[in-house]
Amino acid sequence: MIAQIAAVSIFVVMFGLIITEKIERYIITLIGAALTLIVVFGLCMQSLDAIWNTLNFAAIFRPDFWYAVGQEESSSGGINWATILFLAGMMVMVEGMARVGFFRWLCIRIAKLVHYKTIPLFLTFMIMSAILAMFIDSITVILFLAAVTIELSRLLRFNPVPMVLTEIFCANLGGSATMCGDPPNIIIGTSLGLSFTDFLTNTGAIAGLSLVAVIVYFYFLFRKDLRTEGDPPDPKDYPNPKEAITNKRGFIISTVIFLLAVVLLITHAQTGLTVSFIGVFIALLTLVTAPRHIPEILKRVDYRTLLFFVGLFVVVGGLEQTGILDIVAGFIKDISGGNLMLVITIVIWVSAIASAFVDNIPFAATMIPVITELAGTVGVHINVLAWALSMGTDIGGSATPIGASANVVGTSLAAKAGHPIGWKTYCLKIAPATVLVLIISTLFIFVRYL
Amino acid sequence: MTDQLIIAVSREFGSGGHFIAEQLAKTFQIPFYDRNLLWELANERNLDISALTKYDEVPKRRLLSRKVRGFNNSPEENIARLQFDYLKKKAAEGESFVVVGRCAETVLRDHPALISVFILADEQSKLERICRLNNLSPDEAAAMIARCNKQRKAYHNSYCPVKWGDSRGYDLCINDSRLGVDGTAAFIEQYIRKRFPQL
Repeated sequence: MIAQIAAVSIFVVMFGLIITEKIERYIITLIGAALTLIVVFGLCMQSLDAIWNTLNFAAIFRPDFWYAVGQEESSSGGINWATILFLAGMMVMVEGMARVGFFRWLCIRIAKLVHYKTIPLFLTFMIMSAILAMFIDSITVILFLAAVTIELSRLLRFNPVPMVLTEIFCANLGGSATMCGDPPNIIIGTSLGLSFTDFLTNTGAIAGLSLVAVIVYFYFLFRKDLRTEGDPPDPKDYPNPKEAITNKRGFIISTVIFLLAVVLLITHAQTGLTVSFIGVFIALLTLVTAPRHIPEILKRVDYRTLLFFVGLFVVVGGLEQTGILDIVAGFIKDISGGNLMLVITIVIWVSAIASAFVDNIPFAATMIPVITELAGTVGVHINVLAWALSMGTDIGGSATPIGASANVVGTSLAAKAGHPIGWKTYCLKIAPATVLVLIISTLFIFVRYL
Repeated sequence: MTDQLIIAVSREFGSGGHFIAEQLAKTFQIPFYDRNLLWELANERNLDISALTKYDEVPKRRLLSRKVRGFNNSPEENIARLQFDYLKKKAAEGESFVVVGRCAETVLRDHPALISVFILADEQSKLERICRLNNLSPDEAAAMIARCNKQRKAYHNSYCPVKWGDSRGYDLCINDSRLGVDGTAAFIEQYIRKRFPQL
């Protein structure tokens, strides 16, 4: 009982401090992790096993952590090292790609292909945002896409706000389509032993269907706002995609590495190569092919986010080991009366509402043990609840300006350029699209799996 | 020594600081920036002014914004920083001007041409001025003064290490109830001429 109170207190204080942003969030989770290890496991439970299980170092030395042909790769709770290594690997790859101008080239290339016309730009940038976010973190996608959008808006004299908003939404939607698109999916996938193809054929199908619906919605919502003002610019002023490339050789190598990563991820269930292996392999390949730029690339990797994950997994491990998450699962089962449709609806919509206001990563990490327990008690395959959790956390984050990292970066870039986007504007335009996708997701899961 | 002069005027609501700043701008024949700083910025960059003005000198709402990898999406903070950068650019280009509020005393703190002033006033004189200018009852005026000063304080203190109105953050802190608006402006003019004899 004391251990449970301590674990919940640490979790609640950690969550509260993350929201206030007074202290860097990685410091908060690392302190929370230290307190969980010392107070919850050490003093209250006096269990070295709980500490060892939560730190989960042994997982890295198991062969199936790297190669798991014919069997499901899954984390045994505690620190999810597969997520951390995969994220680190992807960060190195993305830094390598950004260094040579890949993302800027791609954005300007697409703009050139549609002859710098506003409505085709609006539509293609939405699709590109969704596709890129399937393989690359949504922050990077928005960082480049929104920057080019704002640059083009100055040149073509249109209001960039509708485009930035739709790019943000589509990046979050695209991220929900694959295992590596959004951090909650990486955590869900590695924790439950799901493959890239599992996500693509389930959440990917929902995201694809939803993308068509939201493109139609956004087109009718914004088509009048995208009118250009004044005389058309001189075509000589249009940015040239070639000028975006800072190193031609590096550009070709980065593109090949990116395509290789995509192929390895799509085929990982068949090849048996785990996401941990793919992350480490792609990172090493990026570094080996750019030896002179290793310090520069490594310096730009976001270590704070990786440390945030490490701390978070330990704190959630505290809730798991003390049985708190079983109580939460039991509570959901009780209020749903064991009704499967209600359980799925609760998982999707509660995840979505929570993710609209708080970081969806700790929420997803906390909910995985809950849905695992729920699946057993209500008699449904865990994957069904995994898709519900994935869509809820990934899409719910789109509803408010603070719900997901892509929203923060996109609205920040717009505001820095003199186009502030307040809560009212953001929610009036984006929350209905969020609700639309959540309805599609709920109905899809009902029809396909029940 | 250059001829550049930057006067940063911070003020309590109702103190008449705005009028003093305007008078100083006229005396030294230099541009006066208040709300119009945003108008100029919007004009120069072809921005929608109505979207910007609602965030002018408004304190940021912490729980309604987030920071990710150094990107903060608070509209209030971004518009404030846009103005700070614009002021720094003007100062770096050698422009002389009078600026009211906008944390200018902190933003331009290291600029050699800066004179920073904080204008305060007695409660009664603030109350009379606000009643007269806005046609309000004393109670309404008192509430307005309290609300506006609270907002200015919160706005200033989110971006500046020295608190709003703390004498350590300004060259001069003056209660203009003693000399009146004209007298205080004349006094500040004397101080400036003493500091920068070349003007």
